[in-house]
Amino acid sequence: MTEIILMAHVLFGMLCIVAGVWLFVDVLHANEANQGRIRTMSMAVAVLMWLAYLVGGYWYLTFYYVDKAIILKGPWPFAHSFFMEMKEHVAIMLLLLVTYLPIAAANNTATNKGARKLLLWVVGFVVLIGVAIDGAGAIIGIGAKLGLMAAKG
Amino acid sequence: METISKYTVSFGASLAITSILSALLVVVKELNENSVLAWMKGLTSHHWITHGLFMVIAFFVIGWGLAKMNNGEGLKMTPERLVCVIASGVVIGGLIISGFYLVD
Repeated sequence: MTEIILMAHVLFGMLCIVAGVWLFVDVLHANEANQGRIRTMSMAVAVLMWLAYLVGGYWYLTFYYVDKAIILKGPWPFAHSFFMEMKEHVAIMLLLLVTYLPIAAANNTATNKGARKLLLWVVGFVVLIGVAIDGAGAIIGIGAKLGLMAAKG
Repeated sequence: METISKYTVSFGASLAITSILSALLVVVKELNENSVLAWMKGLTSHHWITHGLFMVIAFFVIGWGLAKMNNGEGLKMTPERLVCVIASGVVIGGLIISGFYLVD
């Protein structure tokens, strides 16, 4: 069950990034016909990130202490002391960015160049920070694996 | 001149402010484990839950407050300036958090 929760966290995060890239391309080609889709995708990015945050948060608060102890005793303690600490707090910033996304998408990006530029920047940050956080998650996973290997000898 | 809605401007500025506030709260709570961190833990059982709740509430309260400025017309800013404000807030917030844990 623990693994399923963790995989659901990664799945929602990856879907958020994919939806973010979709949204970025849609906004680049903004016209009157795709305004509805841009708003729907903005909401989808926000919902997916909130799901990733809530599921990941539950796992972090309930199960992570075991991995944390293994990582800190292993050869990559920085996987927790830097990457997990940074990830858990940058994630809050990402949460605010995606919450803002539907507000920014409420403007007409087909006729308003300024609104289009703003939305591109916000969704660009969402994708870049999302990828960075995903990479941090991978390093945390490797940190736990190396810790287990070291404990086994 | 192209304009964007007062809520886009106000909540955009709130996003920048809250990003920096969140990063500063990281530094303050980590440097004061026995007081600030312990108090945040006591509120919701984990300091991270309290941190997230504080920031989401701050985002909406600050955004709503900025939208009520200028007799209800809200904060005024061009889209280009708003992009600079948001980018600065997010980058500075990210650098404070990463820099703190890098040297900690």
